[in-house]
Amino acid sequence: MTADSGCYLAVGAALFVLGGIGFVTRRNLILIFLSVELMLHGVSLTLLTFGRMHNNLEGQSFTIFMLTVAACEAALGLSLVLSLYQRTKSLDVDIWSKLSEPDLPKWDKPVQPLESRVVREEHPASPRLTKAGGLPDIDDDFPVELAMTTDPRKVLTPSPPDDDY
Amino acid sequence: MLYGSLAAGAVGMWLATSPRTGALRVLGSFLASAGLIVAVAMFSGPGGDVTNKILFWMFAASALLSGVLMVTSREPVYAALWFALATLGTCGLFMMQATPFLAAATIIVYAGAIIVTFLFVIMLAQQQGRSFYDYRARTPIMSIVASWLMLGALLWNFQEWQKSAPAAETGPALTAEAASNPFSQPSELNKVDSLRALGLSLFGDYLYAVEIAGTLLLVAGIGAIAIAPRRAEGTI
Repeated sequence: MTADSGCYLAVGAALFVLGGIGFVTRRNLILIFLSVELMLHGVSLTLLTFGRMHNNLEGQSFTIFMLTVAACEAALGLSLVLSLYQRTKSLDVDIWSKLSEPDLPKWDKPVQPLESRVVREEHPASPRLTKAGGLPDIDDDFPVELAMTTDPRKVLTPSPPDDDY
Repeated sequence: MLYGSLAAGAVGMWLATSPRTGALRVLGSFLASAGLIVAVAMFSGPGGDVTNKILFWMFAASALLSGVLMVTSREPVYAALWFALATLGTCGLFMMQATPFLAAATIIVYAGAIIVTFLFVIMLAQQQGRSFYDYRARTPIMSIVASWLMLGALLWNFQEWQKSAPAAETGPALTAEAASNPFSQPSELNKVDSLRALGLSLFGDYLYAVEIAGTLLLVAGIGAIAIAPRRAEGTI
């Protein structure tokens, strides 16, 4: 390590970490991509400093390839963001957290205890009494209670995409 | 001193990302960038004369300050513009690392193409201005703690490395016979900071990689054209 490259490496590390914070904390899809570009800046500054330290050209060549890949990534990512926006009319990234497994706990919600997930279903053989004040269940329309369940598998099922967007 | 300034930077980032009033957030942004700059100042500065040092600190401070403001600003358009400033600061640092071609290429590609594309997408997608999801950061404390741990580890590593580094970068002295040999002289054509050497390296050592990168650009362009438009309106 030569004497004057420590400050460049420190600036590169700081830029990388700032981009990482932006990637995690921002909720706008476009700004997440911008934070990735800031991380790429930090990495390319570090590559150039290492290349100059070792007095060779690999750092500069790698940075040129990084520029190419960053341009491709920005083009593809922004077109994906546009098509996602046309589907939901929002850039909020939390909408797409439905794409994860519905059984897994969410990042901001505590795990529900197991009892509340179980559908409380009465035994079909036992006699049922109508609730006080409610209409009697004439046509045996039982699954009303099933629709009011808190089963996450039922609540979090994504709606089918409308084809005429 | 290094860890104190890093802690001040972490507190500033926490202030800047939290949903507070505007003055506190601006103060937090400045505190965060000041902490980062002081942490960078713990390392040995750039060599050369006073102009070199002034330019380095100008570029580094502008890159770090606009990086912090980009991460914490609530308006997406402002964030894109702060990112353009961070790009300019980083390109100044590239220039000081004797890579003027890369500085120019990065300014052209980022500030000329990528920022403009981002601004166009923001214009297309977010015409109603600020939205609720720009106001609330997601898990700010956990991400700041994790990122600052990583930054502290990196800077500690660099510091230990710098302690063991030789003070000067002069190699062993040449003997008189070797110094008179013309092949041991640094050639003008193969200096590291010359564009000719970079071109020889790109189109000599990395020729196949350059071709593959060109193909990748072509494929990404076709893919972006195929993904983006609205097929229901008969664009394709």
